[in-house]
Amino acid sequence: MNNFNLARYSRKNGTLFLLYSVLAVYSLVTLAPFMWMLITSFKEPSDVFKIPPSFVPSMLFSDTPFANYATVWTERSFVSFFLNSTWVAFMASIGQVFTTSLAGYAFARLELPGKNVLFAIVLATAFVPTEVTIMPEFLMMRWIGWIDTFASLIVPSFLVGAFGTFMLREYFASLPSDYADAAYVDGASPFQIFYKVYLPLAQPALVSVFVIAFINNWNELLRPLLFLNSPEKFTVPLGLMSFVNQYEASWTLLMAGSVISTVPLILIYMLTQRYILQGFVGGGVKG
Amino acid sequence: MQNRRRIVITALVFLLPTIVGTLIFRLIPIIWSFALSFYEWKVFDKAVFVGWKNYAHIFTSSISLDVFVNSAIFSVIYVAGSLALALVLAVVLNNGLRSSAFFRGAFFVPYITATVAIALAWRWIFSTRFGVLNNLLIALGVENPPAWLADPAWALPAVALVSIWKDVGFYMILLLAGLQTIDPTLYQAARVDGAGPIARFRKVTVPLLTRSLFFVLIIALVRSTQTFEITYALTNGGPNRASTTLAFFVYQKAFVDFEVGYAAALSYIMCVILGFLTLVSFYFRRKWVHE
Repeated sequence: MNNFNLARYSRKNGTLFLLYSVLAVYSLVTLAPFMWMLITSFKEPSDVFKIPPSFVPSMLFSDTPFANYATVWTERSFVSFFLNSTWVAFMASIGQVFTTSLAGYAFARLELPGKNVLFAIVLATAFVPTEVTIMPEFLMMRWIGWIDTFASLIVPSFLVGAFGTFMLREYFASLPSDYADAAYVDGASPFQIFYKVYLPLAQPALVSVFVIAFINNWNELLRPLLFLNSPEKFTVPLGLMSFVNQYEASWTLLMAGSVISTVPLILIYMLTQRYILQGFVGGGVKG
Repeated sequence: MQNRRRIVITALVFLLPTIVGTLIFRLIPIIWSFALSFYEWKVFDKAVFVGWKNYAHIFTSSISLDVFVNSAIFSVIYVAGSLALALVLAVVLNNGLRSSAFFRGAFFVPYITATVAIALAWRWIFSTRFGVLNNLLIALGVENPPAWLADPAWALPAVALVSIWKDVGFYMILLLAGLQTIDPTLYQAARVDGAGPIARFRKVTVPLLTRSLFFVLIIALVRSTQTFEITYALTNGGPNRASTTLAFFVYQKAFVDFEVGYAAALSYIMCVILGFLTLVSFYFRRKWVHE
């Protein structure tokens, strides 16, 4: 009896060891590039081209530990890239949550002749690659006069969000109908049932849609590259790329800029991560 | 009856922004682009109708054939790599380990991070002489490590690896969500019947996860055809087109060479290939996805 338990115990620990090694090795792979980015951003420019590379963030031990960051932020106008990106990504994502929550709810819980055909069209057009639509989109923006304005980046994301529509439709459909029936008996209008009953219940999914839209808009490079001309309108990714082309070798500054552009996304993720998994799994299956 | 009408009106109002947006930013551009693909148009000149000439040109030029091959290689590496790695990570994380929340966060971070920023960090890591990767390889005894992004043989796989590294956490979360819907009593029942860990994985986990796996497969397939930011920041399609995939080629043709009609035709070919692959996937879905 004793022997059997011991065997089982060590086998179990062997598995645990294996599982933890897989996790540890892969987390090193995911985190190492960030560490290297961070270390480089705190190096003296002269330390960058050492062979073998030094892992010491040398500038941290000088009188001006944040000198690279200060240079990037003020002299290289990162402050304006940062504000532009924040505004664009925030507006585009709020808009997307607004539009997709209405559409997702209507597709899931309201009656409308032909709504399934409409849903199929929305989904099918989402499978059409951006490369197909980007040229006409560019011509359209030029025709409306939105070239070099933030509207060219915000409005399309505001009105089109197939992934969010799909996700919220599934989420609203997974919630029980009893609430709607009860509210209907109490004399609530269809809008009130949506706004007062179902919208609060969908909070995890709404947060997920917002976060994903924010990340996508923050990272968008193609549209800013094509639609924006003046450097004072540049978003962070565009600013970083214009930077590479001008100062290819200044890796310390480039990595400082990269750290700055990464921080807001990590912060948002940390604040909302408990919703994300829940948002994906759906409301019906929890608990 | 009064109420039914109210519901229909509410539904229409709710769907209005989506209808307008889909029409203006999806349907019209899709049709417009199709029309453009039959024109020769260099932006500043007049557009000339040329029929199928753009398409014919694409299928006979060796440059675009190279690009098709690159895209196929990229998609295979990306889809297979992402799916396999995401499955392993999700299954390992689903064992209720004490620190799984930490690891889940760590693996998801690349997906939520700034694409251009992290691609630049990788470019710096891959740097031939001063890069941390090659110096590590030399320290480990590798004689002549590749030049990575500057080497035509390695540039495309390197872009694919960074793309997998970036996205795998997202696929892992989708699979984890699928895993959590599996009823734990099924595992207990399998265990009572004498199934070991591998048998439980094969007979319980995989069949019940096929729906999520299919979903991930489709998303990965679509994403694999649309890589732009990482290519732009890592290699800009080079060296000498070695890492240019279709999506990137469309961008170059349309906005660098200003051959709008040619780019539109290319984008349509890309669309047809993607549509075909998606249909094939759905056709075979019945064969392996358990409802």
